[in-house]
Parts: sequence; C-alpha cells; structure tokens
Amino acid sequence: MKLIATGSHLSLIDAEGVRHDNLRPVRLFPLTEPQHWISLVDEKGREVASIEDLNTLDAEQRGAIESALKLREFVPVVRRITAIKRATDGHDWHVETDRGPTVFRIETDESIQSLGGTRLVIIDKAGTRYLIPDVASLDRESRRKLERYY
Amino acid sequence: MVARLSTDLDWNLHFHAGLVVLTSQRLLHIEEGRFHEWKLAAVEELVLEELGPTTALHLMQDGNAVWHWRITAGHLREVETFISRFKEQRGLAEEGVESGEDDDEELFTPEIASTEPRFAGKPLLRLITFSRPWLGLMLVGLGLTVASTGASLLGPWLTMSLVDDVLIPLQSATHEINVQKVYQFVGGLLGAAVLTWMLQWATTYVVARLAECVTSRMRRTTFEHLQTLSLGYFNKKRTGDLISRIGNDTDDISLFISVNFIDFACDLLTIIFTAGVMFTINPVLALAALGPLPVVAWLVQWVRVHLRGGFAAASRAWSAMNSVLTDTIPGVRVVKAFAQEKREIERFRQHDQQIFDTNDRVNRTWSFFEPTIAFLTEFGLLVVWSVGAWAVAHEHTTVGVLTGFVLYVTKFYSRLDAMSRFVASAQRAAASAHRVFEILDVKPDMPVNKDTRKVGRLRGEIEFKDVRFRHGTRQIIRGLNLKITPGEMIGLVGPSGAGKTTLINLVCRFFDVSEGAILVDGNDLREIDVMDYRRNLGLVLQEPYLFFGTIADNIAYGKPGATRAEIIAAAKAARAHEFILKLADGYDSMVGERGQQLSGGERQRISIARALLVDPAILILDEATSSVDTETEREIQAALDHLVKGRTTIAIAHRLGTLRKANRLVVLENGVISETGTHDSLMKHSGTYARLHAAMEEVNHA
Repeated sequence: MKLIATGSHLSLIDAEGVRHDNLRPVRLFPLTEPQHWISLVDEKGREVASIEDLNTLDAEQRGAIESALKLREFVPVVRRITAIKRATDGHDWHVETDRGPTVFRIETDESIQSLGGTRLVIIDKAGTRYLIPDVASLDRESRRKLERYY
Repeated sequence: MVARLSTDLDWNLHFHAGLVVLTSQRLLHIEEGRFHEWKLAAVEELVLEELGPTTALHLMQDGNAVWHWRITAGHLREVETFISRFKEQRGLAEEGVESGEDDDEELFTPEIASTEPRFAGKPLLRLITFSRPWLGLMLVGLGLTVASTGASLLGPWLTMSLVDDVLIPLQSATHEINVQKVYQFVGGLLGAAVLTWMLQWATTYVVARLAECVTSRMRRTTFEHLQTLSLGYFNKKRTGDLISRIGNDTDDISLFISVNFIDFACDLLTIIFTAGVMFTINPVLALAALGPLPVVAWLVQWVRVHLRGGFAAASRAWSAMNSVLTDTIPGVRVVKAFAQEKREIERFRQHDQQIFDTNDRVNRTWSFFEPTIAFLTEFGLLVVWSVGAWAVAHEHTTVGVLTGFVLYVTKFYSRLDAMSRFVASAQRAAASAHRVFEILDVKPDMPVNKDTRKVGRLRGEIEFKDVRFRHGTRQIIRGLNLKITPGEMIGLVGPSGAGKTTLINLVCRFFDVSEGAILVDGNDLREIDVMDYRRNLGLVLQEPYLFFGTIADNIAYGKPGATRAEIIAAAKAARAHEFILKLADGYDSMVGERGQQLSGGERQRISIARALLVDPAILILDEATSSVDTETEREIQAALDHLVKGRTTIAIAHRLGTLRKANRLVVLENGVISETGTHDSLMKHSGTYARLHAAMEEVNHA
C-alpha cells in the first residue's frame, strides 16, 4: 500500500497494485479520538481503506495524510471566552482560539455538547465546531461565563 | 379439604360472598344460611365460561348444568386452579383412592388477607427511613437547631435586665449613672445576635445538605425501582406522570425538609422555650399572653384538613399537565400535520386552568389563615399590655419584665404564624411523598425467582410447549407448540391481532406465560436468570430507538466496553459505516432526541449494528423493514443477511424478501398456529398464507 499526496487529495496504490485517485481522508472519531481511525474515501463516498493508527505508517505517508487533513479540517480550540452577549436569536460568543480571536453565534444551549468528562464541543449556527478540550483548564473568568450556559 | 374457591357474585351479578369447597369425596357450596353438596362421583365436570368482566363456573351433571357460580374476572386464575384440582381429585375418586378423612373443620379457618401495603398511612414518617444513612448529620442539625434557638432567646432576656437594672434607675436618677453597665448589656446583645447568626447559618446549611441527600436517594431509589418493573407497568402508566413524580414531587419534599422542617423545629423550640421563660418570670402574665393559643390550635387543625385534599389535587393537576406536554411535544409532527395546534392549546389551557383552580382553592383557605393568626398576635399583645399595665400599677411586676414579655410574646406569635405556613408545606410534602412511595410500593409483577440458573452462551434452541397467554381477560395465545432448532430462521406471519408481537414479548420474557412453558436449550425460561438470558438476545424493532448520545455510544449500547474496532466492524456489517462517514462528526455525531436528524433507514441500520455487536444467539426482528421504502429496505435487508447468519431468528415480517429467506414460515391466527412450511409449500397449500400473500402482492403492485 502506498500513499501519494496530490494537493488536498490523496492517491492510493493498494496491495493489488490498483490505483485509487481523488481520495480524501476522514476522521471517524474527530472529537474523541482524532489520531486514530482515519478512513480514505473516494469521490462517491465509498471507503477505500482505513488506517487504525497513523503511527504505524512511515513518516512520509503519515505526512501526506496529515497535510491533506490539515487543509480540510477546521475545528478551532477555544482558549479563552472574552464575552457572551445576547443577540436577537441566540448568543454571540467572543472567544480567543488557537487560530486567533473570533465571534460566533449559537442558537440554543443544546449547541453545547459534552463529549464525556470535561470535553465540550460548541456547534455554531453555521455548523462550525469549536472545541474546548478541558473545561477545567480554562481561566476562572471564562469558566464562570461558560457556566451560565452549560 | 383439597381446594377452596371464594366466589364474590351471585347469579344475578350482585356482590355476594360465597365459598366452593372441594374435599376428597365431595363438592360443597357454602354461603350464609345455605349449604349444598354433591358427591364427586356424580359430578360430570366443571365448565368455565368467560363472559367479559365476569366468569361463570357451571356444574355439569348428566349433560345439564345443575348449578352456576359467577365470579369477577380478577379471580380467573383461582378458578382455573380450582378446576384443575377438581379434575385431579375426581380422577382419584374414580380410582377409588381414599385420600384420608374429610377434614371439614379446616373449611372454616378464615383466610388471612395480607394485601395491605406496608406503611400505608404516614408518608412523612416514611421519609425518616430514607434519612437513616445520614443519622449523624441529622443529629448535628438537631443540635444546631436547639443551640441557635436558644441563642436567639438571649436577646429579650438581656433587654429585660437592661431596662430594669440600667434604664429605669437612669431615668429616675436615684442611682449613680452606670455607663459601664450599658456597654456590657449592648455588647451582650450584639454577642447574642452574632452567635444566633452563625448558628443559624450552620443549621441552614447542614439541614439543606441533609434534605438534598434524602431526596437524591429518593430519586435514585425510585428510578432504580422503575427499572425493575415490567413492560406491563410502563404500558399502563403515563410518561408525564412518572416524570412529574420523580422530578417535581421529590423537589417538593426537598424544599420541605430543608426549609420548612427546620423552621418548624426552630419554631416549636422557640415556642416551648419562650413559654417556659415567661412562666418562670411571671406566671400570671404568661397565662394571659397564651390565652389565644387554643383558638390557634383549633385553626391549625381546621386548615390542615382543608389543605390536605387541595394539595393532592394540585399534584395530580401538575401530573396531568406534564402528561399533555410529553404527549404533544414528541408528537408535534402529527399535531402540525393535522393542523390541530389550536386544539392542543385548548387542551393545555384546560389542564393549566385545573392547576389554577386547585391552587386558587388552596390559596383561599390560606389567605384567611395568615391574617387571622396575625390578628390573634395583636390580640395577645393587647392582653399582655393591659394585664401588664395593671400589674405594674399594683407593683406586681417591673417595667423591664413587661418589656421583656412583650418581646417574648411577639416572638411567640410570629413563630405561630410561621408554623401555620409549615402546616401547608407539610401537607404538600405529604401528598408528594405519597405519590413517590406509590411507585416504590409497586411490586415487580414478574416474580423474581430466587434460585435461577445462569445459562451463559446459548445455542439458540427454542421450544414452545402448549404456551398460553392471557392479558386481563383476553386470551391472546391459546396453546402454541413449536420447536425452533439452533440457527433456524422463522418468519412469523398472520393478520394483525393474531398474537405475533405477544409471542415475541414472551420470548424476550417481558411477560411470563400463563400456562405451558417456553424452553431455551431445554431450560424453562422462568428458571433461568433474566439478565443472563437477555444477553443472548438481539432485538431490532420496527421503530428503532436511539438514545441521546454519539453514534458510537448507541452502537455500543448493549456492550459498553466495545472497542472502536468492534464498533466500526458492526457498523460496516450493518451497512451503516458509509453514511456515518458522511456526517461531520463521524462516529462522534450526536443522535437521538435533540441530536442529528437521521432517516428511518439510517436509524434502523444503527440499531442493527447495535444488535450485531452483542453477537446474540437469538435474534428477534419485529417488522424491521416494514416502515421504509424499497431502496432502503434493500440496504437494510443486506445488513440483516449479515445479522441472521448462524443465529436463531424469529422475524415478524410482511415483506416478501424477508419471508423468502426464512427456513420456515409460521402462520399465526387467533393465538394458534394455523400453518407452517416454506414459502413455496404454503403457496401451493392455498391456505391463510396464500391469501395473505395475495393481498400483499396486490398492495405492492397497486
């Protein structure tokens, strides 16, 4: 099995020597176990191969998958909550993330979901996911603001 | 005596107690002043006739019914037992076997009816049994209560001395001005206030914690108990009502223990302490001050009686409203589709009005009570002032004592006022506790057999031996015999109401058979551990139920420790993997109520993956493909093919695809098997199945 990076896509030559083009990597457990279980899916949405553990691949192939994932993934990690303001439909969250400061709007409290333990994911109106890997690691002010909604 | 049967109706269906007794030689009928007997050998048979809510038992002699008994249907099982005992006994009598003397004396030993639920009356007392694990905390709370009440009484005492020893002498200027003493008394008053504050703080917290402990235990116990109850119980109950009992009612109880009960204890102590103090200072004044007390006591009793019914009605009204909510919110699609919003609003309004009315009724009683107590307080003060003025004038007492008294009486009556509020909340809590205990008192209606066997992994052989099942007075399964070999797939067909779902419920042991037995791998279902047995079962229902949680959690529901590899493998086998891949969060997507919207076919495939993961020996498909379109059905069918391989399968099905795959089709009609065979052989036979099949074809091609 050999992987070739082609921009945001991947090509795979499988054990029988058949070449599959235009594959995209998909994490099966993006929130609870992002480093394991990555599936390679063709244009029709069919799974061509799946990789249980990236570390079993050599550095080059792992790099190919990781760079392809990096291009399509967008799950900002919330580092600090600066303000939560009431808006006409829902609340505007002003946050600082690992990708810089931003504002997003969520509609109901149900948009904040627990992923077990102190891990939270917030899904905004547009469907973007914001991750809080550990509520306890947020600063006191942020935790207090969060507490009112979750 | 061999057997006895209490009858509760006469022939005209009026309630009337009677007794039928079977001895080794005779059959006797006994009621007040009447007595009949028949020789067993002369009785041909006893015939049972079910007549709706009542049952008739006919005594047959020479082909004629010579005597009749009527019994309400609730005693059906006893009648049947009696008849079978009669048959045994008559068989013995015919063989001429003497089973000892007729022991008639035994006939008249009264039967002990022990149907009274334990602890029937006093729900509030029963709460104490729930607080047993926190006895230490309770004692601490009690000690703190006594201490803080005592501390709060120091104030008036100090005031009394302040007036008599400092202020009066100061005003009349007969003594030297003693500033030092003023500081001492004011300091003492401050100290008493601070002490009271701290003690009350501690008391409130300790008691609130206790209340939370007790109600949390109550909620948990109630939920645990609910989980042990059979499906039959939940079918009878309204969801909203149960939610309301576990939620609202326990909350009422918590509030009662944490706020009202502690207040009550404080009030009671204050009243006793103040009364004691007042009597030691001046008995005459004390007697005058406590004059209106009997009136108050009478009032409290009056209000108690009036409020009790009111609060019970309010709780019921809340339940009814919750039921409307749990009905209309999940059913909102139906409501909107039929444009019945107005009607639901009206239904809600009516129930809300009921809450309003019951609360209004309570408030009416209530609003009279409080001002009356306030008035009596004023009256009591008035008496103290007049008697006090007279006493001071005649030098029976001092101004200081009178001031102290007025402070004590104010405290006394304000506490009485608070106590009256306690009456209301105690009644509310009692009503709530009653409703919670009502759940706890329901005995699991399937007796848990103590010495059950563990079966471990089953091969999957199922045998029905003359199985009968009755629900209420309706006989649903009437003598069913079937043997299913391990790995065989049985397709269950028949018109609706034939007993297909009931049969499946019996196999799952959601209900017990009324007669006969179901054997799995040769073990009677009633003799093996239910939990252990159900681990061998996989169930796929027509309407798959997903819990709120991730897809991975839902697939692993029957096997919480499953690895991700196992979950993915199950999803792949169930043809669910590909659509899960397309979801933004993959296996981490939230589904169920409030979660991601999935189509019926997708939900069904997740539930198939769930069944696959537990790797059941016996698989039950309850119309797993009947609610989806043909395209989806093909997908599900492919998933099912994986699932049924090597497992004993019982499938209720209408779709031809499923039926063709079955090793044998069993046609059920009116609770009995009318035909069995493969699809092809049954089609040739042109019986019920052929008829059903023709009808299905017609629908499919229309």
